[in-house]
Amino acid sequence: METLEWIKIIVGSAFLLCGIVIFFTELFGVFHFQYVLNRMHAAAMGDTLGITSCLIGLMIFSGFNYTTLKILLIIIFLWCASPVSSHVLARLETATNENLAEHCEIYKDLSILEQELDSRKTAEDEKEDVL
Amino acid sequence: MVYHTIYITMLILLSFMLLACLIRAVRGPRIADRLMAVNMMGTMVMVMIAVLALMLQQGYLVDICLIYAMISFLSVVVLSKVYIGIYEERQREKKASQEKEHKGGLSDGNA
Repeated sequence: METLEWIKIIVGSAFLLCGIVIFFTELFGVFHFQYVLNRMHAAAMGDTLGITSCLIGLMIFSGFNYTTLKILLIIIFLWCASPVSSHVLARLETATNENLAEHCEIYKDLSILEQELDSRKTAEDEKEDVL
Repeated sequence: MVYHTIYITMLILLSFMLLACLIRAVRGPRIADRLMAVNMMGTMVMVMIAVLALMLQQGYLVDICLIYAMISFLSVVVLSKVYIGIYEERQREKKASQEKEHKGGLSDGNA
C-alpha cells in the first residue's frame, strides 16, 4: 500500500512538472517572438498541452472519485475551446491589421499557394534526385 | 504532507507565471496580444483553482473551474468579435467621409 502511494505521488508530480515546464516554455515563446501571430502559435499550443498535463497530474493525485470525472470534463472542454479561441484571435489580428504584408506572405487565392507549394516540392525532389 | 508541499510549490510557480502574463498584457502593442495574454492568464488560473480544490478537499471548486473555463472562452470570442465589428464600422465611416469629401471637392471645382 505504501509503495502504491509513492508511485502515485511520483507519477502525479512528473505530470505536474511537465505541465509547469510547458507553461514556462510557452511564456518564453511569448516573450521571445516579435509578432503577434508567432506569439499566438506558442501560446495556443502551450495552453492546451500545459493544462492537459497539469490536470492529468491532479487527476492521478485525486484518485478515483467524482472530482476526477469533473477534471476530465474540463480537459475535454478545453480541447475543444482552446483552439477555437486561438483561431478567433488570429482572425481578429488578420482582419484588423492593415500592414500584415510586412510580417508574413499573403496569398489572395489558395490555389496560388498550392501551385507554389507544388513547385517547391518538385524542385526539392529534383535536388534529391541529383544528390 | 508531501501533497501539501507539492501543491504549495505549484501555486507559487503558477503565480509567478501569472505575473509574467500580466506584464505581457500590459506591454502588448496590439489588441490581439492583450487578449492572448488574458487567455493565458485564464488557463493558469484554471490550474490554480483545480490545485486549490484538491488542497482544500473541496470538490465544488472544480465546478467553479469548469464555469471559469466556459466564461473565459466566451469572453475571448465575444471580445474579438466585438472588436472586429468596431473596426469594420470605423473603416466604413472613414470610407463614407472620404467619398463625401471627394464629391464636395469635385462640385467645388466645377463651380
